[in-house]
Amino acid sequence: MSELIKEEELKKEIENKFAGSFYDLNISRKNRIWIGLNADKALEFMSFLKDRGYKHLSTITGFDEGENLGAIYHITDYHTLVNVKIRTPKNAPSLKTVRDIYPVCESFERELEDLFGIKIEGLPEGRNYPLPEGFPKGVHPLRKEVKLDELVKTLDSKEEK
Amino acid sequence: MEILAALIYITVFPGFLFLASYGTALQWADRKISAVMQNRVGPPWYQTLADFIKLASKEIVVPDGADIALFKALPYVAVASVSTAVLFLPVFGAPVYSFQGDLIAVIYLLTIPTATFFLAGWSSTSPYASVGSIRVMTQLFGYEVPLLLALVGPAILAGSWSVAEISAYFSANPKMIFFQIIGFAVSLLALQGKLERVPFDSPHAKNEIVGGQFTEYSGMLLALFNLSIDMEMVVGAALISAVFLGGTWQYSSFAAFAVFMVKTFAVVFLLTAIKAAMARVRIDQMVNFCWKYLAPLSMLQIIIDLYIKYGVK
Amino acid sequence: MAKITIPLGPQHPALKEPENFMLVLDGEQICDATVNLGYNHRGVEKAAENRNYIQDIYLIERVCGICSHSHVSCYIGCVEEIAKAQVPDRAKAIRTLIAELERVHSHLLWLGVAAYEMGFETMFMYTWRDREQVLDCLEMITGNRVHYGINTIGGVRRDINAEQAKEVLSKIAFLEERTKYYVKLATEEPTILARTQNVGKLPNKVALERNAVGPTARASGVKMDIRKDEPYFIYDKLDFELITYHSEDVFGRVVVRVLELVESYKIIRQVLSALPEGPIAVKVPWKIPQGEAVFRYEAPRGEDIHYVKSNGTEIPERVKVRAPTLSNFQSIPYMLKGDYLADVPITIAAIDPCMSCTDRAVVYDAKKGKTQVFDWEELRKYSIEFYKKKGVNFSGK
Repeated sequence: MSELIKEEELKKEIENKFAGSFYDLNISRKNRIWIGLNADKALEFMSFLKDRGYKHLSTITGFDEGENLGAIYHITDYHTLVNVKIRTPKNAPSLKTVRDIYPVCESFERELEDLFGIKIEGLPEGRNYPLPEGFPKGVHPLRKEVKLDELVKTLDSKEEK
Repeated sequence: MEILAALIYITVFPGFLFLASYGTALQWADRKISAVMQNRVGPPWYQTLADFIKLASKEIVVPDGADIALFKALPYVAVASVSTAVLFLPVFGAPVYSFQGDLIAVIYLLTIPTATFFLAGWSSTSPYASVGSIRVMTQLFGYEVPLLLALVGPAILAGSWSVAEISAYFSANPKMIFFQIIGFAVSLLALQGKLERVPFDSPHAKNEIVGGQFTEYSGMLLALFNLSIDMEMVVGAALISAVFLGGTWQYSSFAAFAVFMVKTFAVVFLLTAIKAAMARVRIDQMVNFCWKYLAPLSMLQIIIDLYIKYGVK
Repeated sequence: MAKITIPLGPQHPALKEPENFMLVLDGEQICDATVNLGYNHRGVEKAAENRNYIQDIYLIERVCGICSHSHVSCYIGCVEEIAKAQVPDRAKAIRTLIAELERVHSHLLWLGVAAYEMGFETMFMYTWRDREQVLDCLEMITGNRVHYGINTIGGVRRDINAEQAKEVLSKIAFLEERTKYYVKLATEEPTILARTQNVGKLPNKVALERNAVGPTARASGVKMDIRKDEPYFIYDKLDFELITYHSEDVFGRVVVRVLELVESYKIIRQVLSALPEGPIAVKVPWKIPQGEAVFRYEAPRGEDIHYVKSNGTEIPERVKVRAPTLSNFQSIPYMLKGDYLADVPITIAAIDPCMSCTDRAVVYDAKKGKTQVFDWEELRKYSIEFYKKKGVNFSGK
């Protein structure tokens, strides 16, 4: 696996530095590293990445695994993409904002708030994004329990009023 | 009787009716020519007339907070002042009225529409219109001085402040026209600014401030404003052809009229070519350009004319 | 002078798509700007979780009208990685060809829009006329002008023959001549220079910090192009330059884009001269095994990134789309501050914004469309009633 030198090095470093605070770490192919991280280490890990040259937060993907919600932070140094997966329980979903490290995260984090209902600690109040104003409160369309037909009904009934 | 004749001059020929129809035709020519230059088909011949009729039939909406009387009166003032200006220019032979200093009167009358544009935007109380009218005023200070200075050159050469006498002078000394190229170019660009056309159309740049000073205008009032700009184009072209190109060339009646048409059309063609070849410049760049280049160039023209008049013996 | 707040959008002549900017003006200068997005949210991501992989291709293609191939290729890249499909070389070459034709079409379109925002209508007309040539190429190869529908999981759906290749090459030769003219025009015409130089400044440091991508970043001297950084398709075998410029303003963005056009012509020639033989697609089962993948793609506007997670069925568990514009929007308020109002349209246009990409994401309007149809009389009554409530009465009663 000579072509994965860079990835292996980073992996080793993470294993040394963050031992015990991740639940999954693998290299799926060249330039792709996946890591499942405990929420409390998130900020520390990301500043570690940023110091290593991973300065570009491409996007944040929210996900719904049933019991847990979560977010994947796709961070890259333009060549290698590190995907940092952080889970948060569905009954009280909350993540810390990464604004201090990646100031551009604001619209991505608003997406998490709107579409998944994950509370982002430290994100200033702002306008809805990307859902329109007047969208029913408490409905987070990308959660798995929101079925398309019911969503249509809710929105239609709201429209008629 | 004299008053009646003056009224007919103003309203029918060479005033409002003639200017409106010729202006509408020239607007079509302008649109068609620029369309051909831009590789498009362009509008049919009746398009500008249809536009006018359609606009005129629309409802007039006056914004809250606007001074209704002022808001409604402004377009008429614009049209009236342009219709009056043409009386001092040679159209059908010699001008209808002529006196020493009518050149200044024409410039003055052509400034009134610009002032009404400013008031129109200002009285609309909408942010786009306010920004537009500020730009109208700023732009006025940019082009007005170079335009006036450019017209001074021929006046010095002819030794007269009367448009008729200036054009008579150039008709008698046609080779002098070639020494006026700089002034001619400056006045063309300044006229482009006065008519608010590309590259100097920032007062109503649609990508920035929608309709500019006319944002809140609609219906007949907007139609009249548009018409007044078309008429101003005719009068501006006529002024330039009278001052720089010898006007109607000492012909009279129909021959003079034909010369008038050819020359104004030629000037409009040049204006259209400028429009098609450039991008819109910013208002600060416009003012800079006018004061840095146009004003000194027109001064140079004056010096050349002074030298020709008094230096060459 | 008092400060004026001017709303720019959601409906505004300078904006082709709905977005909103609140500009605080001090005279002509902008002292503050806020960007509001989300007027175009369609719920594509939710819809994608309710369709199978093949249907999603056509859904994702409709995320954007300009970079439709980019989004589909990006999505398919994820699915193929999860399914471990070995895409034939010929399919990869055809994808590259379409991708570059798309880049040419997008950049020419942008050049026209930029000229229009500067009030230079002649150039707008010229570039859009020339753009028809490349649209003709795309139509000839794929059968469509905008939504090409050429990609499928495991390859492409249509082959390209020698005659088509010849035709494409002749059109590219014509466009290359025209592009030389545009390069000259864009770098020498005084009014264009006056409107683009030192406008919408984005220093290199800020571009990095604010995640600028694509031509916007490259015009600020950031060397990033996924075609070079993390080659996909057959880009690692092709010879082309990574165009950057150091002027950090709108002028740089114009220069980068017109020079990229030239590079794209080069790529198209190389692809067509060495088109590998073989099949154009492999069969991939409907059910995609469990897994997840991320794919990065250099769309005409910059880095496009998709994430797909599969749960072993024929329907994806999660599809995430992040269009380049969302990333570039972070830089807009910075670029606008201190600019003149007149520079706003060109500054916004210079990142080549694409709102339908950015605000993608619940398609439930299909049914509602019917109940909303008014006939003319009803609409008139409705509008009169609506305004009466607001205290405006035009009817005179």
